[in-house]
Amino acid sequence: MKLSITTFKRSQTYLQSSCSHLWRGLNSIGNEEKIEIPKRIHRSPTDILRCLETTISRDPTAAHYKYHDDPYLIPMSNVGKRTFAMAQEAGRKAAHWVRKENAELFNHLEADPVIPSFLPKLVYTEESKVTEDDLIKVIANCQVQDAQIVYKLLKNQGNKISADLQQALLELVCYYNCSDGIAEEFIEERWFRQSSNLKERQRKTWKDSSFAEELFQTISNPTAETYCTIIQGMNKYFQVDRAWKLFEEAQNKGFVLTTDTYNSVIRVANFLKESFDMRWTFIVNTLDDMNKAGVKPNLGTLNSVLHVLSTMGTSRTVKDYILNILSEFKSLGIEPSLGTWYYVLVTYCKERGMVSTILHDIMNQLENKEQQIKDISDTNFFVTAMDICRNHLNDADLAKRVDKLLHVGSNYDLIGDSYKESIYYRHYFILMSTSIPLEEFMSNIYDVLVPNIYVPEPGVMSEILKQIEVNAAVDYIPKLWTDMTTFDHTDRESLVEAVLNIMVDDVSPKKDTTLTESFAAIAWDIYVKVENQNIKKINKINLTGDLLGKVMLMLLKNDDFDKACKIMDKLDRDHQTVAGVPKIEVLELFIDHCIERKMPTRAIICIEYCSDSGFPQCGVLASKLNEKLTLDEDHLNRLSRIVGDMKLSSKVAEEVH
Amino acid sequence: MNLNKLNIIWRNVTTQKNVILTPTPIQKCFLVRKSTTNKDSSSSSSSSSSSSDSDEDVKTKTKIVKAKTVPPKNNEETMTKLNSLLQQLIKNDTVAKTSELKLARPKDKRVPKEQREARRVETNEKKLEKAVGEVAKDIGGDTKQTESELLTKLLSPIESKESSKSLNEIMKGMKIDREPKSVQKSKAEQVRNILQNVQTKRQDGVRTQPRARQSYQPRSRPPTSIVVEKIDLFGAKPLGIFTNKDLKETNLKTWQKLYEKELKLAITHPPANYFQEMILWTEQGKLWKFPIDNEQGLEAEKNVDFSKHIFLEEHLESWCPPKGPIRHFMELVCVGLSKNPYLTVEAKIEHIEWFKNYFEEKKKLLKEVGAIPTDGRKADQNKQIE
Repeated sequence: MKLSITTFKRSQTYLQSSCSHLWRGLNSIGNEEKIEIPKRIHRSPTDILRCLETTISRDPTAAHYKYHDDPYLIPMSNVGKRTFAMAQEAGRKAAHWVRKENAELFNHLEADPVIPSFLPKLVYTEESKVTEDDLIKVIANCQVQDAQIVYKLLKNQGNKISADLQQALLELVCYYNCSDGIAEEFIEERWFRQSSNLKERQRKTWKDSSFAEELFQTISNPTAETYCTIIQGMNKYFQVDRAWKLFEEAQNKGFVLTTDTYNSVIRVANFLKESFDMRWTFIVNTLDDMNKAGVKPNLGTLNSVLHVLSTMGTSRTVKDYILNILSEFKSLGIEPSLGTWYYVLVTYCKERGMVSTILHDIMNQLENKEQQIKDISDTNFFVTAMDICRNHLNDADLAKRVDKLLHVGSNYDLIGDSYKESIYYRHYFILMSTSIPLEEFMSNIYDVLVPNIYVPEPGVMSEILKQIEVNAAVDYIPKLWTDMTTFDHTDRESLVEAVLNIMVDDVSPKKDTTLTESFAAIAWDIYVKVENQNIKKINKINLTGDLLGKVMLMLLKNDDFDKACKIMDKLDRDHQTVAGVPKIEVLELFIDHCIERKMPTRAIICIEYCSDSGFPQCGVLASKLNEKLTLDEDHLNRLSRIVGDMKLSSKVAEEVH
Repeated sequence: MNLNKLNIIWRNVTTQKNVILTPTPIQKCFLVRKSTTNKDSSSSSSSSSSSSDSDEDVKTKTKIVKAKTVPPKNNEETMTKLNSLLQQLIKNDTVAKTSELKLARPKDKRVPKEQREARRVETNEKKLEKAVGEVAKDIGGDTKQTESELLTKLLSPIESKESSKSLNEIMKGMKIDREPKSVQKSKAEQVRNILQNVQTKRQDGVRTQPRARQSYQPRSRPPTSIVVEKIDLFGAKPLGIFTNKDLKETNLKTWQKLYEKELKLAITHPPANYFQEMILWTEQGKLWKFPIDNEQGLEAEKNVDFSKHIFLEEHLESWCPPKGPIRHFMELVCVGLSKNPYLTVEAKIEHIEWFKNYFEEKKKLLKEVGAIPTDGRKADQNKQIE
């Protein structure tokens, strides 16, 4: 239908254009067509590249770009990926170090125009000759330590520094708390850095009586900006009390403070006021002050207020305040960012409080829209939303919507870092594995994302195994075992046991023998792995009789008698170290196989083991062996030594009888 | 809701499960034991660990007590074996103890809601069946089928879990009589006693077990209990604080710049393809900028017009003779210079200046040769023209 319309349209336009050609030919003089030359669109140097880049989507079958240089060494496990990337980063750091140590070797100007980032860094010492331009440059490059040195040098050399420059320097040192952060070039390091500093951020880290404060003191007639800078800096690093004093001082002096200063004061309301009520009054008062002073709030104000509200318990009023604030800022024309929704989610969906479905409404707002980063808290949204989908709502459809939003445009950039990404997928996997059919989960999610985009952690793996157990989908076991081997999960006792139990408990009739074969291979693999563990390992898997019994069972089911014999030898030999005993059924099966293969010696060893382990059935087994095979004198002697003459002979007698 | 109920009931049932579900192995082992009472000690007084797993029966207990009193016929071999085993047990026991360092902790006085509920439950099995029925109904489809599936699932997995206790866990619950008398016991007795202890412990520890599980449980809630309640995110009454119409946003310049930089770094991740890497390198100034411009980085030249580079003859006019070999030579120099992309205009003029000075030095000689027309002759010519 659609197609026919388009073809029809096309023929129509063709007709029109040919008509117009004819028409133009007829009265070419009369009708003058005006040619409009479009205005030139200025493109930035990266526009073409960005355009090309959008044509490439992430290929889940390929390893990440950073790993693909060396196909043989492509890492598969989480630890491996991290180690590989950090090794690359370490190489980069080593190169930086060499350049720093041998700066004189890198002064040749190979490139024209010169590439500044390849040149060795300037080192400022006591003797350096510096000018104001140097200070401007180091401030622009965010070299915090260097800026301090250059400033001191300039002072010592008796130069006058302009007020603007002093202000810029103060802002720099306050922003970074007088120390350099991770250099811009080390992207991997930032990506793999654990977000553990989130907790650390909540305590005072401001460096008291540091360069920033000294500089603040030396500024003879401080302006509003000077005060704003130091207040923002102190609040950023939780030197709350002194910031508050300066804030009051500045207000008394009648300065008009910046929006960011108010934001920073609101953000630390938790430290300034004790009770929830007092915090809320404080927020309202501060906002009122802003209104009076004619300071326009921005997104930062909104998020700061919500940040405080999100720590104020689960009561109904807090939730109402949130909605009030949202509509207040909406009427001011301030659009919420993902970070805003993050705070809303945190407030509404507490672990202890009532279940709230606010995520549905938020998703209605966000759906199919490409998001830009506007606030630093924006990167928390996706991981929190997925957490709520799983733990709060347990809603797979909603989780799918969140995941879809993550893949709109360049929204994936907002995932945060590797740590947040893996938590996001952890929630996604566990939720999906429990709520959609297992086949669908395995083919649509597991096979797509594992191992290149996400490597399931042991906890997730055990959840998947549980689902396999519930669904009796034993076909997936060989595949999962392969994956577990590549992801280094085989040293987890619980996982190994889970796999083994699933295989043992599987009673479904086998259509093909390949599964039995691979089960036997897996069981043998488990045995070999457990047997060859490093002695010094901390969490070693204990070789229990039960485990060995299960391995043996799988081997016997596949007629792997030789390997089963090895297990039996192990059981018999290491009686002292192996805890517990296998199930008697397994030993019986082993003896059956011995009988089948006419190997009385092995059977007798097994019976001896049974009797040593205190199985009452060994008498029965012995007589069975005696029944089925004709034993020689030696064997009979051994048997009778184990189970006692009487029994054997009585049996024999019975038989004879 | 139904699932939740199911969970609670299931937890309660697990404690009784052993008795309910596995009567047969007990009986079996019992029969066997009877038939072999007067046999060799090692076999007669033993029971398999697997069967004693489910030993709960009072009768078996009494049996065991009896077996204990019978002095077993020990030979040297079993003695040494037993000793070594015992030593090992003791060793392992201490290890387990050290690792199980329990520190004082505030007691959680609150009784979880689910436990409170669970206490009210009288007949677990019935509730269980009912709940399973409800769930099956909710799921729809073949209710009988799902019901039976759920029930079998609920009643089966505990055995495998118990057998999968690690050695340490078993050891934890052990109490070993360290008096020499205990050495007299046979190996099987040891094992059985140990397992017995574990079992009774486990029965005692029933109250703690579900609690441990509960810490994980309440996180996942059943989806059925949720009704999507519509919340109008922007529908609430505004606070009405910002009444001032003349609001102005002010910000610190450098601070703002640094914040923007931080935002940018927050979404700069390791490049995922070559284009992204090129973007990164371009931004770091390591690559030519697209579209390729071979004058990139020649900022000083931007203000110099190309004609200044090409038309250099004007710099000859002031000194060069209008014709003759010097003029010819200099014109060639100009052509050469005009085609040189590597020199700035100043450098080109400098070149020309150099030749000017050179010819100035050699002026006398050049005049003699006639390369420069003499002033006299030149004056004559001028006069003639006039």
